[in-house]
Amino acid sequence: MTRMATLTEAQKRGALAHPDVDLHDEVNRDILKMLSAPGKGWWFLFALAALGVGVMFGSWGWQIYRGIGVTGLSSPVGWGAYITTFVFWVGIAHSGTLISAILFLFRAPWRQSIYRMAEAMTVFGVMTAGLFPLIHVGRVWHAYWLIPYPNARYLWPNFRSPLVWDVFAVTTYFTVSSVFFYLGMVPDMAAARDKTKGIRQKLYSLISLGWRGTDRQWHHFGKAYLFLAALATPLVLSVHSVVSWDFAMSIVPGWHATIFAPYFVAGAIFSGVAMVITLAVPIRKAFGLEAYLTTKHFDAMAKLIMLTSLIVFYAYLTEFFMAWYSGEPPEKQMFWNRLFGHYWWATWIMLTCNGLVPMMLWFKRVRHSIPALFAITIFINIGMWFERFVIIVTSLSHEYAPFAWGVYRPSLTEMGIVLGSFAWFSFWFLLFIRLLPPVAIAELKEVIPARMRRGSGGQDRHDAVPATAPAGD
Amino acid sequence: MSEGIKRRDFLKVVGVGGVGAGLTGCSTEGAEKLLPYVVPPEDVTPGVATWYTSTCGGCSAGCGLWVRTREGRVVKLEGNPSHPVSGGALCQRGHASLQALYAPDRHTRPMRRVDGELQPISWDDAEALLAERIAGAAGNVLMINGAMGPSMTDLVDQFLASVGGSRIEWEGLAEAPLREATRIAWGRDVVPRYDFESSDFILSFGADFIETWVSPVEYQRAFARAAGVNGAGEKAEFVFIGPRLNLTGQNADEWVPIPVGSEAAVALGIASVIAGRRGNAGPYASVLQAYSPEAAASAAGIEAATIRELADRFQNSASVAVGPGVAGQHRNATAANLAVHILNAVAGNVGTRVRLVANAQSAAARPYGEVEGAIRSMASGGVGVVMVHGTNPVHGLPPASGFVDAFAGVPFKVSFAREPDETSAMADLILPDRHFLESWGDASPRPGLFSLQQPAMEAVPHFDTKQTGDVLLSVATRAGSPVGPATTHEHLRARWQQLHGNSGSNLDFEAWWRAALKRGSVELPIPATEAAVALRQPDVALTFDSPSLDGDGEFALVVYPSSRFGDGKHANSAWMQELPDPVSKIAWHGWVEIHPNAAERIGVGKGDVVAVASPHGSVNLPVFTYPGIREDTVAIQMGMGREQSGRYANGNGVNAMTLLPAEAEQPSGGLVHLATRVSVVPTGEVYRLATIEGSDSQSERGIAPAIHLGALGHAAEGGEEDHAEHGLEEMQLLGGFGAVEVEGDAADWPLPDTDRGDYGDPATPRWAMAIDLDKCTGCSACIVACQSENNVAFVGEDQLRMGRDLAWIRLERYYETVDASHAGPLDVRHLPMLCQHCNNAPCEPVCPVVAAYHTPDGLNGQVYNRCVGTRYCANNCPYKVRVFNWYSYADVPEPLNWQYNPDVTIRNTGIMEKCSFCVQRIREVQNRVAVEGRTVADGEVVPACQQSCPAEAIVFGNIRDASSRVATLARNERTYRVLDELINTQPAVHYLKKVTLHEVEDGAHQGASQNEPADR
Repeated sequence: MTRMATLTEAQKRGALAHPDVDLHDEVNRDILKMLSAPGKGWWFLFALAALGVGVMFGSWGWQIYRGIGVTGLSSPVGWGAYITTFVFWVGIAHSGTLISAILFLFRAPWRQSIYRMAEAMTVFGVMTAGLFPLIHVGRVWHAYWLIPYPNARYLWPNFRSPLVWDVFAVTTYFTVSSVFFYLGMVPDMAAARDKTKGIRQKLYSLISLGWRGTDRQWHHFGKAYLFLAALATPLVLSVHSVVSWDFAMSIVPGWHATIFAPYFVAGAIFSGVAMVITLAVPIRKAFGLEAYLTTKHFDAMAKLIMLTSLIVFYAYLTEFFMAWYSGEPPEKQMFWNRLFGHYWWATWIMLTCNGLVPMMLWFKRVRHSIPALFAITIFINIGMWFERFVIIVTSLSHEYAPFAWGVYRPSLTEMGIVLGSFAWFSFWFLLFIRLLPPVAIAELKEVIPARMRRGSGGQDRHDAVPATAPAGD
Repeated sequence: MSEGIKRRDFLKVVGVGGVGAGLTGCSTEGAEKLLPYVVPPEDVTPGVATWYTSTCGGCSAGCGLWVRTREGRVVKLEGNPSHPVSGGALCQRGHASLQALYAPDRHTRPMRRVDGELQPISWDDAEALLAERIAGAAGNVLMINGAMGPSMTDLVDQFLASVGGSRIEWEGLAEAPLREATRIAWGRDVVPRYDFESSDFILSFGADFIETWVSPVEYQRAFARAAGVNGAGEKAEFVFIGPRLNLTGQNADEWVPIPVGSEAAVALGIASVIAGRRGNAGPYASVLQAYSPEAAASAAGIEAATIRELADRFQNSASVAVGPGVAGQHRNATAANLAVHILNAVAGNVGTRVRLVANAQSAAARPYGEVEGAIRSMASGGVGVVMVHGTNPVHGLPPASGFVDAFAGVPFKVSFAREPDETSAMADLILPDRHFLESWGDASPRPGLFSLQQPAMEAVPHFDTKQTGDVLLSVATRAGSPVGPATTHEHLRARWQQLHGNSGSNLDFEAWWRAALKRGSVELPIPATEAAVALRQPDVALTFDSPSLDGDGEFALVVYPSSRFGDGKHANSAWMQELPDPVSKIAWHGWVEIHPNAAERIGVGKGDVVAVASPHGSVNLPVFTYPGIREDTVAIQMGMGREQSGRYANGNGVNAMTLLPAEAEQPSGGLVHLATRVSVVPTGEVYRLATIEGSDSQSERGIAPAIHLGALGHAAEGGEEDHAEHGLEEMQLLGGFGAVEVEGDAADWPLPDTDRGDYGDPATPRWAMAIDLDKCTGCSACIVACQSENNVAFVGEDQLRMGRDLAWIRLERYYETVDASHAGPLDVRHLPMLCQHCNNAPCEPVCPVVAAYHTPDGLNGQVYNRCVGTRYCANNCPYKVRVFNWYSYADVPEPLNWQYNPDVTIRNTGIMEKCSFCVQRIREVQNRVAVEGRTVADGEVVPACQQSCPAEAIVFGNIRDASSRVATLARNERTYRVLDELINTQPAVHYLKKVTLHEVEDGAHQGASQNEPADR
């Protein structure tokens, strides 16, 4: 009641208040406690992840040693689980920039509790995705030839090839999202610096770039953040569009479709937001962040999932319709084969997980049930991996030349690497939640009602966060 | 012969030098230092090939060879264009015999069995030992040999006459019943020659003349010339009568699926109609009366109208009937062959298209009846020394024959086997023979034609071998009864001196001999024996009834010769194992062919393992459902199930002979191959077939379209309709491709706005290919020729099963109309799919590192060194002709790598490859003409596939030269380019549609259509 009168600017724009958090110190305490010494659970998960990373690099090493033949790939299916997983992780990497940059620009401040995690997910997602083109090629020791570099032989990559565009798109995305991630974290790392001692303090002070929370710094920070957000926004659309062109620019039935760019971007946001929920739910539970990640946050994300699910499902239907409407036998038969052929099960997993299951989110009760949301997002993660699998494998297995049709079965090595990639991602994410503030401290403090801020006991201490944090504009 | 000696001397130098040089210089990894010649041999220009003529020893057909050697090593076999038999072509088995030269499993040295173990022995000791044992055998020496040339036969006979002994000849694919039937019919003890080329109605009762029958290259060429439509719009009609479509049968226009063993009834039924009009059946008039069309039809389970109609066509055209071949060698096979002879006789074909002069097989192969005698004599202890040369009876004879036990009982068993086989595994002394490319020899494919074999290289130094002729001559001398000449070479020259005398040549012998060596063969005039021959009264009792079959199984068992292994001889060639069988498209392992309906009836599908049991044995094999076999028949290929051969053959498939009785057909004495019924019982196991076949249906894509003969000449209108149907022009306009003409004039080709070649200079060629699908028989010789020329590696069964075979040519086989239930039209399409060298190549723009690029002369190049292995090009290739090196497949055991063509890079792991249009041959010719100061003539550049094609279906050349053959063919009304209308790739490979004699029923066949390749 009283709070209505004391809404901050951010809250007026729709930011979600944290009714149980009153003090800046509480924010610092709650968030920075995540950086304290880890418990058994964390160590267990970390050991598991490290083991998975070992499996992944062991499998990759074996593949390099023996030859790419240790995969189940063959003719005609020359792309399989690796490219599927590549696209999957690029898709996962999408939501971070979407949540931090686009929602920032669109003034949707409900993002503030989750955007740090989403950004981290972006960076680690791209780091995971970026491995796969290397894992995938036949001669990884020559993979650098895809990068344009001056050389005595005047040999350049083929700038007409979507794969070269991919190199640019993914490296650009990785660079910008890493910088954005890092920049947004500077004030929080300063907060961490102030709460730690010893070597950790030295490290935090090194990476917090001497942040003192002065007006001048806040002013520059706000401008830089805004510009970077503006710079990152087109990348959200471009990177997955370019990835989709790997397929759309070819003439493979099932790939060659103009709908691919928007379809892939929507799919990427869909899968990315789902992954944010998948990660946020256990973190919220483990670190007791219920006050910061409220059902309203989840509700907002669930609505985004619903919207993108509808777009994605519309794209599926469009593809099927166009295949039928084109009247071209290769196209028609490819899509028929997709639904009822060798990989029918993968297609139906995709349709069910991405089209049907998210429709439960129409119900508010489902949107507000954390276990239900968690379960649904797991389905979406699975469905989106299979979406890429279906697009890649069913199309290649059933192309123009019927006599050359064939099927593909992933090998153990491939499965090891694909599963290992989840471990590789988890490895970095687990380190992240222990070493860097996983929730944006500074932005959270913005939504603490001003009246309460005045009452905070932080005045007599050197607080990293000033009383009036600008929202960035 | 001083030249020969000289050449051998320098080859010795080269051979030794070659060992040091190694053949590893082509790969990026593992390069080794090369040793240059210390003293360069005079006649060898490094980098320039030297060619020798020879004669193929792959089977007894006696095809002429051109042997390509580089720096003293044989690297490729090609057909000798001036040879009357092969006419420049070579079959897949011929190519594979090159691999036998470098087979890593060859016996490395002479060996003697001591206490059950084989131990090395020197040649000297070995010969002394053999001489001693022969002397001790007191004339009880038995030689069992395979087909040999006339000189070698003479040498062996002289040897046996000198040391005392006898000889039998055993070839698995001999045509004893055919020969005996010819003797009975006309009193000539020959296998007749058939003239397909001048026939316009061909009737085969099962003879697989495209695959193995008598002289497959020669017959296939003649058949393709007759059956391929000519400029006047005429083509021969081919009707296949038999229970199972072999590859030859797949090329027929009509199939009359009769039960096994009823060929005689059908042939006599047809003959009776004709003879009824002409009254020329001679002594067989009464037989023919018994085989009225109605009687014959009921015996064969077909309609009498079919027989009458066939008779009309047979009578009123230049017809020829052949058959039933080795697969149809049943208990009344001589009678069946005689029935076909009678049919040819009453139709007046004898002396014209059926000529009673002998050919290669006439001299060869005594029938099985004589082998039975030899077995009896061995079993009774009447043989002291048995010597086996060039044949493998332990594997080739049914176990029921008792050969193994009888052979084992002989005190001293000598094998001259070049490679390990089941017979040499039992031998006491192994004296490894040389390969025919390392030996002197000759062949006489038919009367008057003599063909020479000369050593094209020094013996492969990994193997301490000696030519068997030399061994026999030396042993005879040691045994105290010398034959005369000291070496095979001397003996051969002495023989040919006689030929020179008969030749009437005015050259002296040396000049004549050199000319013969250069040309590869000589043809001597033979007296005309073609006077009208009348049928004679049979001198033996024969029955034309369907033969009895052992057992009471549900299915009749057809055991047919393999077009890859023959009777098993070529089974240890990785090329042959890797080559998909032209019918089943399965490689490496065995299978049993069952009609899809029958398979459904017993509840099995492709890949389900069944137990096939006859009264004589039982084998387990995976099922291949095949619509080209009767529902009451199953078929198994010969030549597999090797146990004591080399690493590539052992354990693949089963030996079909184990299901057969050991029985000689009467009266020919030939081994009965079609003698039992079998039961087929599912075992519940599943074997994933190693097949290259995805779908056997074209799925409405018009990959291999056909045109009705009657529509020829009206194709222009038909084409327009097709376009309208696809809305093509409209689509192209919409897509901005309005300027692109789909059916452009070849002279303008490549079309404007799309070329990526450098065509500013009118002299720049645009290489293109035309493949006449009306001639292509699907024989697959091109695939092996390509493999040999381009160092295409083999990958093995497991890799092939995954779809990783590297063959640059994929012979696609689509069923259109195949109906085993009653006589009717047949339409099976074969299409060799290779890189199309598109103008708008989809593979080129997607390669991130420009490894796939377009050469100025229009080739779609692939830079192996630059390839990173993203495989995007293969994904984007609509023809799926790009193959990937998933492993280092090219690492083959020594000395198999000696075969590699030094002109072509060896590909390493992680690299994409594909057909290059034999770019090394193009450049070789271009370099040569540049030195000679002229331009490339049309037909001067010949890729390996075209060179080898027995059907002459492939033409290569510069399509910008409007007068070139390929440009002319590109303008043919039958010409189309695969998928061009759909995706505007503008391929350089122009296919000429198959011409059917029946209205085209695209997609009519549904029976075995397997849209989902679940087994791959």
